[in-house]
Amino acid sequence: MSGDHHGEAAAISAHVRHVETLLEQRGLVDPQELDRALTAFLAGSSPASGARVVARAWSDEGFRTRLLGDANTALPELGLSMGGGLQEQRLKVVENTDSAHNVVVCTLCSCYPIALLGPSPTWYKSEAYRSRVVRDPRGVLREFGFELAPDLDITVWDASAESRYMVLPRRPGGTEGLDEKQLAALVTRNGLLGVAAV
Amino acid sequence: MTEVDVTARFAAGDQVRTTRFDPPHHCRLPRYARGAVGIIVEPQGSHPLPDDRARGLPAVPEPVYTVRFHARELFGGGDHSVTVDIWESHLAAEAT
Amino acid sequence: MSRINDVGGMQGFAPVEQELDEPPFHADWEAHVFAMNRALIGQGVYNLDEFRDAIERMPPEEYLASSYYEKWFHAVTTLLVEKGVFTAAEVQHD
Repeated sequence: MSGDHHGEAAAISAHVRHVETLLEQRGLVDPQELDRALTAFLAGSSPASGARVVARAWSDEGFRTRLLGDANTALPELGLSMGGGLQEQRLKVVENTDSAHNVVVCTLCSCYPIALLGPSPTWYKSEAYRSRVVRDPRGVLREFGFELAPDLDITVWDASAESRYMVLPRRPGGTEGLDEKQLAALVTRNGLLGVAAV
Repeated sequence: MTEVDVTARFAAGDQVRTTRFDPPHHCRLPRYARGAVGIIVEPQGSHPLPDDRARGLPAVPEPVYTVRFHARELFGGGDHSVTVDIWESHLAAEAT
Repeated sequence: MSRINDVGGMQGFAPVEQELDEPPFHADWEAHVFAMNRALIGQGVYNLDEFRDAIERMPPEEYLASSYYEKWFHAVTTLLVEKGVFTAAEVQHD
């Protein structure tokens, strides 16, 4: 990294501190409360939560049906929710099958199942991904090293309103003997967004 | 989630056309999906229109739908489909 | 046509680049902007639609040159001034 980059990072860091101090003086934020909320949020939201959901759906047919029908009512079975400290959002889980593949994007900003997966990766928020995946999902997935079979029906879900989307990947072969914890360990964040197989 | 009892004009399977416009304010209908014909996948509850909320205007909840478009309709090519979540204000019935 | 955030279908952007083992935030200030914004929306200083609108109103060249949380911070300070919480001079920092 160049010296300039460090200088810019230090400048914005100081500017953020300045605004936070102003807000604190005005009684609009409490830094300790911010830290506490952030720690709680990060502890509760990570791709591990999404992976647990997938592992349960692979292991329990009833749960899978409930999850695909109304994910918000199914999540509490695992002690999870789409609240995450703010208003609860609707979650729609879309299932990959032998014949259908799903990919998630937010072309307008960065809508993402953050309450379940934690903060989104930078590529998800990039103009490159947002602009191109709706137009050429196969080409974009190839950049992730993921080649889709030519006969698959591909749906790209653009989260442009109040719903958030998560992909239920196909269960890999040869995993019949694995328990939920072992299955969850196979699930990646990219798999939950449809840009990788599991 | 906002649970409000608002009658939805459209049901799954209905064909709709999105508004073709370019308003000078916040709008959640992406331009690639404006003026396009698609099929309602499902209604997803009712929410205030962001176009109004972003401008501090009173916004009553209205139905939002997941709408599926074929890539050909949006881009003139492609074998996939794209779904977009669209407020009822930005949809009109389209004869099949 | 439309605003710079509305990039769906736009041609010409580079291939997607992934960062391996990416952390939730790349710097402490990013986490602070994230938390601050949640708190301000939670308290009703502004709503989420106004926040998105403030990002979208950025000049296109500035939008494209800014990192994700730089955009957020731009929107937070824009709204704090527009909502009359602070003056433009107050949020400045040299």
